[in-house]
Amino acid sequence: MKPTDLIRLAFSRLGTGKVRTALTMLGVIIGVASVVALVSVAQGATKGISDRLQSLGTNLLTVSPGFTRTGATRLSFGSATTLTVDDANALAQLDGVQAIAPELTTNKLVIAGTQNETVRVVGTTPGYLQVFAYDMWVGTFLNQASVDHNMRIAVIGATTADNLSLDGSSLGSTIYIGGLPFQLVGIMQPKGGSTTADDQVLIPLSTAHELFVGSNSVSTIGLSAANQDVISTVSAEITATLEQRHGITNGVDDFSISTQAQLLGTVSSVSDVLTLLLAGIASISLLVGGIGIMNIMLVSVRERTREIGIRKAIGARGRDILSQFLVEALALSLAGGLLGIGLGVGVSFGIGIYAGWGFVFNPLTVVVAVLFSLMVGIVFGVWPASQAARLDPVVALRYE
Amino acid sequence: MSAVASQPIIRLENVSRVYDTGKVQVPALVDVDLEVADGEFLAIVGPSGSGKSTMMNILGCLDRPTAGRYVLDGQPVDELNDDGLAFVRSRSIGFVFQSYNLLPRTSALENVAAPLMYQGVPKKERLQRAKAVLERLGLGDRFGHVPSELSGGQQQRVGIARALVTEPALILADEPTGNLDSHSGAEVLELFKDLHALGRTIVLITHDVDVAQAADRALHLRDGRLQESMPV
Repeated sequence: MKPTDLIRLAFSRLGTGKVRTALTMLGVIIGVASVVALVSVAQGATKGISDRLQSLGTNLLTVSPGFTRTGATRLSFGSATTLTVDDANALAQLDGVQAIAPELTTNKLVIAGTQNETVRVVGTTPGYLQVFAYDMWVGTFLNQASVDHNMRIAVIGATTADNLSLDGSSLGSTIYIGGLPFQLVGIMQPKGGSTTADDQVLIPLSTAHELFVGSNSVSTIGLSAANQDVISTVSAEITATLEQRHGITNGVDDFSISTQAQLLGTVSSVSDVLTLLLAGIASISLLVGGIGIMNIMLVSVRERTREIGIRKAIGARGRDILSQFLVEALALSLAGGLLGIGLGVGVSFGIGIYAGWGFVFNPLTVVVAVLFSLMVGIVFGVWPASQAARLDPVVALRYE
Repeated sequence: MSAVASQPIIRLENVSRVYDTGKVQVPALVDVDLEVADGEFLAIVGPSGSGKSTMMNILGCLDRPTAGRYVLDGQPVDELNDDGLAFVRSRSIGFVFQSYNLLPRTSALENVAAPLMYQGVPKKERLQRAKAVLERLGLGDRFGHVPSELSGGQQQRVGIARALVTEPALILADEPTGNLDSHSGAEVLELFKDLHALGRTIVLITHDVDVAQAADRALHLRDGRLQESMPV
């Protein structure tokens, strides 16, 4: 038999029992659609998270103080106050460091007019804007002069501005931080990544030291590398510089460095596992769909025993019958697969719009889904088809 | 009967077919010898249980004898495997069944063209040849009808057209009038006579002695043994 004849036979057969064909395909449709949709959702979620992380600045390195010991007890990371403004100044000199932003963080009650909020107050330097990739909405950011002269000025995040009912017209007004008056000079654009990133008050680092923390220690130092390629070099330089400054020779550092790249790496490995997991779950429904096809094909072979007998009598060989039923199973699973891809793409499009990470579409998923549904057709079609091929024409012709 | 051709279309030598049911062995055909000459119209007559169906299956290459030789159209077929038998059925035999055995939900034209598909004939040529045969049998206006839309007589004529379309060496008819009223049955038998007159070799298997009258020669089958009888 010619392949064109086989295909024509298969489709004319599928056309004669439309409801049955549709119901049989439904299993594969749902299976393929869920594979496509879930993989797309997993990838979309990953993209959403990565986008947010990247909005924090991809070239970001954060230096945090290490732990301290109280007797034999090791306290948690960050418990030490080993990083200082001088450390930050030294790191600013390193090659490949584009901008630097030491942060000294406290929580203070902030009052503006009749509104008040306890909020994170960060003492920092002009480099902050670049290191953490913020943009100004109105007004100006802290300048070098304000840091040099311990000026009592403040820049606030978008969420804080909302909470305190401040807007562009409030620039120049006085807000009270920890009971002390500051002049509001700017409001930053929201980042949208997380609410905490937009709910903060920034003041000059020197002012924070003068008014809120007695020492010259800092909580963390944020650095922005010139580009992603030099991050590891910069990281090594930072380690060397700080070890030298802190007199560490045994390799037990009293600080730690984290990079955005590490975080992105973690996210992507988590998402790979997530994608595999979802695809695995969805594959189960594809398996069930395949069993549905096998079931229908077995019933079909039984019902069409006489037809098989007739075909054999008029000259069909076993392999002609085998091909006929196999192509039918393939047509079912492939048609179901294509419809499933359509449905899956539609669903993932809808979810992507709803969840806000846009439409993530991976052509590879479609290729895999098509191949998978073809495989389902072959695997679950072969047994019924070989049953049909093996029928004895004498018995089949007498079958009622 | 004159031997038109030097070589008979069918030659059975000591053919036996024994069904092994596990406990007992049931002989359905016993030492059958038979020659059918080219162009002959032979009837094999027997009551039910006489081995008619087995005879039909063996002659039609649907089944193999358990003993003996069978040469069809010059080719020994008793030793062929399943694919070999399918090839012989495809090329050398046209079946006409009692219950027509047309493919359901398939048009008369497609039914008649179906055997050519298994010979690998291209679709266009298949349809042309099927149309020609159907027109010759007076079914030129029934191409698109599916079997359920045709009368019994028409269905059987489609069945005969299907048997003829491959130009086989042998037309094998199994109770072709069994499901038909007497009028349609007579028409079908006339058709066989016409085909015979055109030189076709036909073997008609029936239980009905009157039907067997249509043939040149009738053989009787009783308890699996073939008995020569008077030419009718």
